[in-house]
Amino acid sequence: MKQIIQLKVNGQEYEVRVEPWKTLVDVIREDLGLTGTKEACSTGECGACTVLVNGKPTNSCLVLAVEAQHKDILTIEGLSQGGKLNQLQEAFIKYGAIQCGFCTPGMLLTTKALLDRNPQPTELEIKEGISGNLCRCTGYVKIIEAISAVVKNRL
Amino acid sequence: MQEYSVVGKGLPRVDGILKATGEAKYTVDLVLPGMLYGRILRSPHSHAKILNIDTRKAEALPGVKAVITGKEIGPVRFGCIDTPRYPADQCPLAIDKVRYIGEEVVAVAAIDKDTADEALELIGVDYEELPAVFDPEEATKEGAPKIHEIIIPTTTTAWEDFGVARKARPYEVVNNISNSALIEYGDVEQGFKESDYIREDRFVIPSNAHVSMEPRGALARFDSSGKLEFWSTHMGYEHPRYWLAKVLGMPISKVRVLKAYVGGAFGDSAWTYPFQFLAAFLSRKAGKPVKITLSREEVSMVTRLDHRMIINGKIGVKRDGKITAYHVKVIQDVGAYRGSSPTTLYLFHSFHDPLYRTPNLKYEAMGVYTNKLVTGPRRGNGIQQHSFAFESQLDIVAEHLGIDPLEIRLKNFRKQGDVLANGDRLDSYGLPECLVKAAESIGWKEKKGNGKKVALGIGTSGMFSGAPNYPFGSAATVKVNPDGTVTLFTGGTDFGQGHDTVMSQIAAEELGVRMEDIILVSGDSETCPYDIGNWLSAGVYTSGQAVKRAAADAKGQILSYAAEALGKESDNLDIKDGYIFLRSNPEIKLTSFSDILKYGIQKHNGDPILGKGFAKCVPEVEFWGGAYKGTASLSRGRGRFTDAYSYASAIAEVEVDKETGKVKINEITVAADSGYDINPLNVQGQLESQAVMGMGDVLFEEILFENGKVLNPTLGDYRIPGPLDISKITTISVQTNEPKGPFGAKEVGEGARAAVWAAVSNAVCGAIGTRIHTLPMTPERILEAIKKKGISSD
Repeated sequence: MKQIIQLKVNGQEYEVRVEPWKTLVDVIREDLGLTGTKEACSTGECGACTVLVNGKPTNSCLVLAVEAQHKDILTIEGLSQGGKLNQLQEAFIKYGAIQCGFCTPGMLLTTKALLDRNPQPTELEIKEGISGNLCRCTGYVKIIEAISAVVKNRL
Repeated sequence: MQEYSVVGKGLPRVDGILKATGEAKYTVDLVLPGMLYGRILRSPHSHAKILNIDTRKAEALPGVKAVITGKEIGPVRFGCIDTPRYPADQCPLAIDKVRYIGEEVVAVAAIDKDTADEALELIGVDYEELPAVFDPEEATKEGAPKIHEIIIPTTTTAWEDFGVARKARPYEVVNNISNSALIEYGDVEQGFKESDYIREDRFVIPSNAHVSMEPRGALARFDSSGKLEFWSTHMGYEHPRYWLAKVLGMPISKVRVLKAYVGGAFGDSAWTYPFQFLAAFLSRKAGKPVKITLSREEVSMVTRLDHRMIINGKIGVKRDGKITAYHVKVIQDVGAYRGSSPTTLYLFHSFHDPLYRTPNLKYEAMGVYTNKLVTGPRRGNGIQQHSFAFESQLDIVAEHLGIDPLEIRLKNFRKQGDVLANGDRLDSYGLPECLVKAAESIGWKEKKGNGKKVALGIGTSGMFSGAPNYPFGSAATVKVNPDGTVTLFTGGTDFGQGHDTVMSQIAAEELGVRMEDIILVSGDSETCPYDIGNWLSAGVYTSGQAVKRAAADAKGQILSYAAEALGKESDNLDIKDGYIFLRSNPEIKLTSFSDILKYGIQKHNGDPILGKGFAKCVPEVEFWGGAYKGTASLSRGRGRFTDAYSYASAIAEVEVDKETGKVKINEITVAADSGYDINPLNVQGQLESQAVMGMGDVLFEEILFENGKVLNPTLGDYRIPGPLDISKITTISVQTNEPKGPFGAKEVGEGARAAVWAAVSNAVCGAIGTRIHTLPMTPERILEAIKKKGISSD
């Protein structure tokens, strides 16, 4: 039943043998051991499992791993480069945008995609951009402040 | 106020990098070699006898390694409350009977999730359905289905284990009453006679849910010496450790709870769940590590909900708005098991008394069993229900008398130094200042007035800072390292609120080292000293005090050796940034921690520098001795409860569309008396969080039941606030410098949510010019209220 698939995650090629019905989030977490991607609802409603597929924020609980073959997948483990934090990560830490941290990886990747396509979003555009990602701890205020700080180059 | 180097600063959280990079490991992320996956077969019935359970086919399925039933575990009970009067009432697996949909019936461990799921489908359970009852008022009537008969204690209570000479008694359940409380002072009838205006209202508050982002989970492993290692979503290891030992029948030293990051809690994990015991039972039986992760749907269907209450309040006031009497009756629908109800029903009252001077008061409350999901604390534990009901009535009374809602509150607030009926003294009391500052900030004077499209509402609340939970308190230790760093061991648990960061700040400040020199070890029951955990708001006040004292102890030892080595008086020495200096000449660094450790090796046979500290929120001797000796009882409101209360006021500005019933929040201002902000960035984060959470509770969050079944278990059906729901949020910190708190600090993480409940609901009711007595205030309920009042849309 299992089949061998190729995945490109954070620039690295992986070959894994998985069931065709296995979701991308399960393969990333269980087969690749990249547990930075979180699964909180399994139905695409909270955004915790967001990864970037060809630069697009994607609920990895709603995608089968086989569908993600031959695409560029970015997970939280690939956001910092050479041990240096991405400026969004720095801003989230500095501005108190992280509390329990469970939504943080998905929130950061969604934000990266937002700023990649719109480097100067308004506050409303920031809210709309992250509206698929739920956070129960922060009330979003400090998340929006952190993103705004990056936008305004005020880190 | 004294200048500090490390506390009082909004430093970034110590676990920020690990969380921002995805490196932080939560329970759901953990994998052990040979690990099995546990799943639980749950009751499909609200109330039924279990006639027979057939697990043979499941056991025969290849890949299944353990199957456990309630008969095998036996009638060993656990609970949030386990006192001589109210013995624990829940078993890890149902034995003869199930009492709610979702109750645990059989547990299975298998080599993977799919096999475990398949095994569940092979289990046959024969049930005989029983009549069920879902309404707490119906449940107390003669002839209602009996959910429990007599609860016979199966183990000694913690009280007994730690020397309280009272044995647990069987609890006979009459009319489904789980527990009751009666607190009285003054003469409430006389108080009503003296009043000029009396108002009675009935409020109904349904369930809402915690929705921590990490699904709840547990991982258990037994080593070959019989020692249990345990990782889980919890709020402090002392409780799970105590209960695992008790329920599994093993010495407490054989249970080690290890640290895993916890993805939110909000009270949902204040005490243990069946799935946590079942991971351990399955692991013991299978001889392999077992992990149980609840699905989101399971989390919604079986983890505890916020308290459901029916509140009948009667308030009497003088013409000038002064309260003369308050008589309140509370019926709490606890669900199938008692949960935290005896504590909660005390707290409902205890959240009134420290806020408002009420000369004559009668409080009658009961917890009632129903065939529904169990309830428990959710960020406040009864406080928000009280604030909604009482603050609604205050506004109604104010309107009737033509008094400004702000004035009626200021008129009835307590005063600093007041002593409550139970003996608690209000050494710090920033409530009036919170209200005045919130009003100034939002422009209360200019904007107030009811019946307008845009309206403002006020709410207040109070919270304690740590509470007695016999026998638990908090302790901490510190170890000074040869390179001048300091390792801090604290038993607290960080589930997002910032415990690890704040404890590091307290230790660094007290000891005189830089923040980066603190190495934190937390949440490991083997290496850290005992700690009640981060619930009952015991974090900063109790654990923080223990950490401060541990650091002070180490500092004393360092200065004593420094004095000896330098030939100076230790009183003349102090420490900053890890160096010892003469107070009279702070510019010159005389010696370092490294040198002091060397001195200990050379002159004192290697004496290490180890500091310890401990704290309890109120001394037990006060709880059990003095005027209350032998008569102390939470259910009677007798006996000290806490050393410090904290306060919050919130004001919300809302707009209501009278055509659609939709509410737009323009602004929420929250002012909180935190005593002293150890970390202002954290405090802001806590208050913003509570503003948004409270807004969601009032406007749309409700777990819907039909015949005991949760109808909206997914995050699509049960909506929590998202980024587009939030408005302008302003937070204000009022610093009252609590004399007994570490650096003057007290609770700030949960009480303000209640003030927001009252503020948003009062604002909505102000905007529509009529009252709504049921939460949440959905567009349907708002339109219904408008229609009832006969207001035409403007």
